[in-house]
Amino acid sequence: MKIQSFIFGFFLLALCMACEKDNYAPPASQLRGSVVYNNQPIGLRSGGVQLELWQPGFALNRKIPVYIDQDGSFSAALFDGTYKLTFVSGNGPWIVSQDTILLDVKGDTQVSVPVKPFFIPKEEKISVQNGKVSAAMTIERIDNSRTLQNVGLYVGTTAILDNINNKQRTEVTAATIGQTGGPVSLEVTLPASLSSRDYIFARLGIRVSGVNEMIFSPVVKLELK
Amino acid sequence: MRNLIRLLAIFLFSIGTGCTKNWLEREPEQILTDQQLWTNPQLVKSVIADYYSRLPYHTDFEGPYNCGPTIVYCGWKDYASYDEAMWSGVSNFDFEFRNSLIDYPFSKWRLWNYDLIRDINLAIDQIEKVNSPKMTEAIKAEYIAELRYLRAFNYFELVKRMGGVPIITTQLIYDFEGDPSYLQQARNTEEEVYLFIEAEINDIANSLGNQGSKTRANKYTALALKSRAMLYAGSIARYNSLMPAPISLPKGEVGIPASRAAYFFESSLKASREIISSGVYQLYKNNPDPAQNFYEMISTKNNNNEVIMAVDYSVSQGKRHLFTLENIPRSLRKDVENVSGSSALSPSLNLVESFEYTDGSPGILKGVGTGSNTAEGQKNWIFYDKPEDIFRNKDPRLAGTILYPGSSFAGQALDLQAGVYVWNATAGKYDRVEGGLNTQYSDGGRLTGGDGPLHNENYVSSTGFYLKKYLDSSPGAETSAVRSEVWWVQFRLGEVYLNAAEAAFELGQADAVSYINTLRERAGFGAGSLASLSLERIRNERKVELAFEDHRVWDLKRWRIAHEVWDGTAGNPDANIFALFPYRIVRPGHPDHGKYVFDKFKSTRNTRPRYFRSGNYYSEIPQSVIDNNPKIVRNPFH
Repeated sequence: MKIQSFIFGFFLLALCMACEKDNYAPPASQLRGSVVYNNQPIGLRSGGVQLELWQPGFALNRKIPVYIDQDGSFSAALFDGTYKLTFVSGNGPWIVSQDTILLDVKGDTQVSVPVKPFFIPKEEKISVQNGKVSAAMTIERIDNSRTLQNVGLYVGTTAILDNINNKQRTEVTAATIGQTGGPVSLEVTLPASLSSRDYIFARLGIRVSGVNEMIFSPVVKLELK
Repeated sequence: MRNLIRLLAIFLFSIGTGCTKNWLEREPEQILTDQQLWTNPQLVKSVIADYYSRLPYHTDFEGPYNCGPTIVYCGWKDYASYDEAMWSGVSNFDFEFRNSLIDYPFSKWRLWNYDLIRDINLAIDQIEKVNSPKMTEAIKAEYIAELRYLRAFNYFELVKRMGGVPIITTQLIYDFEGDPSYLQQARNTEEEVYLFIEAEINDIANSLGNQGSKTRANKYTALALKSRAMLYAGSIARYNSLMPAPISLPKGEVGIPASRAAYFFESSLKASREIISSGVYQLYKNNPDPAQNFYEMISTKNNNNEVIMAVDYSVSQGKRHLFTLENIPRSLRKDVENVSGSSALSPSLNLVESFEYTDGSPGILKGVGTGSNTAEGQKNWIFYDKPEDIFRNKDPRLAGTILYPGSSFAGQALDLQAGVYVWNATAGKYDRVEGGLNTQYSDGGRLTGGDGPLHNENYVSSTGFYLKKYLDSSPGAETSAVRSEVWWVQFRLGEVYLNAAEAAFELGQADAVSYINTLRERAGFGAGSLASLSLERIRNERKVELAFEDHRVWDLKRWRIAHEVWDGTAGNPDANIFALFPYRIVRPGHPDHGKYVFDKFKSTRNTRPRYFRSGNYYSEIPQSVIDNNPKIVRNPFH
């Protein structure tokens, strides 16, 4: 009996003392930021453009891919430390003015990443009437190093909307716009599957030749009823 | 105690008399020494056989069984990743992901197999310095030439996927001094790698033995590799610089200057002409039926003088593959033990329509509906007496490549019918009725056939077509007990003709059209079927002649049009997989009763358009490679 209680006591002791938790805590610091030009966030295709986070000082490098959202924002859960935020060349529709940004992540950190796009959409107006979506905007040329390829109007049923993910679209080529930019208007007729809905979403995009990703205006919700 | 003494005595006796030979200095019995290996031609041949089996391929008959979206090499299943076919086999995500692929990952096609290159370099070194009566100078020269062919082939596989890579031709041996940086070599330019391949082949072509072999490299295999590689280099030089923003790196690791295009095209044309004019190979024309002839050209090994090089299989030797089991049409599958299998690849309507009519007009099928089940979608229908009538007068190669409604395989007719259309007098249109496999409609006739097609079902065609090329018609080939021994063709004379035509056309030479006409005459077109050539014609000819022979994706890459053809948009007919479903008309008393109509629509099972990004032109170099060798620069867009 004595021995049994001794064993039992030993077991209890082991249960209470033996195992400290030995796992790492999950990364708790949030890095948030957005890609901006003149302090205005840039509209993109959801998950299309990738930035890279590198943590220098370790023997093996592994990048942390950071995908940019369609409103130009991005976020990553990280450990505290010093990181390098780098651009992948040719990936986004802009000129990189600063190749690498050194970041000190300590707790939740905000960063804005300045870029210089080739073109930006301005004064965009999108409206719907009689089953047609009409849109107009002014294209402003910021940089001369690449040529304009086309401009498009994209209509879809979800708020995540771009040149790949859409239900209806129309595009005009640079030949009808001219390389200096200027005002553009586009129109798309809605098929029955779209015009019978309560609401749809629309946005405008600009494509530069030689770059996969387009630059977009913010998504607009259009009430049909 | 007495026992102990006895034991001790036995032990001492053994030590004293047991080992007469020197125990620690015997010859090893389970490994071969360098001395034994490289002095014996028979063993060197085994080493080379191993290297052949380690050569990298893309869509051959091998490949891991389960390979999900992150695995780079999957073998033939990747035919369902492009526009020739879609996946209609098992719907496990490790296979089915191809039907919902958002984009091609940057790691797709990547290769960095310097382990094989190191082994080849080591073998060359060892054979060069070996001194043995059995290894005569002639034998040594032949083996070294063959090893250099394998190395050139491997470098071509590397350069077409990764762009310029370091050219390593000697063993890299570490001196254990603590500083490995002298082993780190930067990437050569893409042009230098292609020039290296050309120089190697020029050097070895006449030293290669293996005359008449279709499984080991001979002179003409090397020339076929040169014909293909130089054509790739030429078109990259030309079409990369025609892009609005050419893909290049500052030091030329990727991208070839436009001025070099003519040089490479000429080199390719010279190699192609040498193969054609040698007369060693002839286009396969053993069967008077052109469709069956085209099928036999790949699958027959007897009297086949068209195939230059193939990966061979043999049931009697135990080297066999499951391609036929996995792709046999549903109603013909026999394997009771292994009922999983059949119909894995459904060829797309896109490919079917790329086959022209024999009068040379574009191959768009006539009189097809939209599948919308409305009067509007049915107004274009042509009512065909028999389902195969819609394919009448198509290029006979279609029937040699693809099984369509009305085809038969190995003497058994396919049963392809998606459903019936029943006349609805009040609505003034036909109503669509579809059923499960092998069902009857209430009028006693067929509702849905034993081969489908069905929209969304494992092991049934989802496009209305089955693959015929490379399918084995010999008895038992569709069972896992026997399996198939059809070979996988790497190089054949048909491709050399196409290479010659393209290179000659790019150089503006007048005889370009005659190469294509020879090939089309064999295919079943009349003599001199084309008066002139265009780039689109050549590209379409490659698409149909070389369908399912591991060319399509590489061709689109080197022409630099992959990002336009597969642009990831829902409205682009080339980026989406289309299906063609046959239906029987039910309208008793009407002349159209019992006839067949066809609906063409975007496949519902293949949900995502193909999306090829600029960053896919060159695959991503693994980060571990860059960690080990900081001189390696990354490819563009990664």
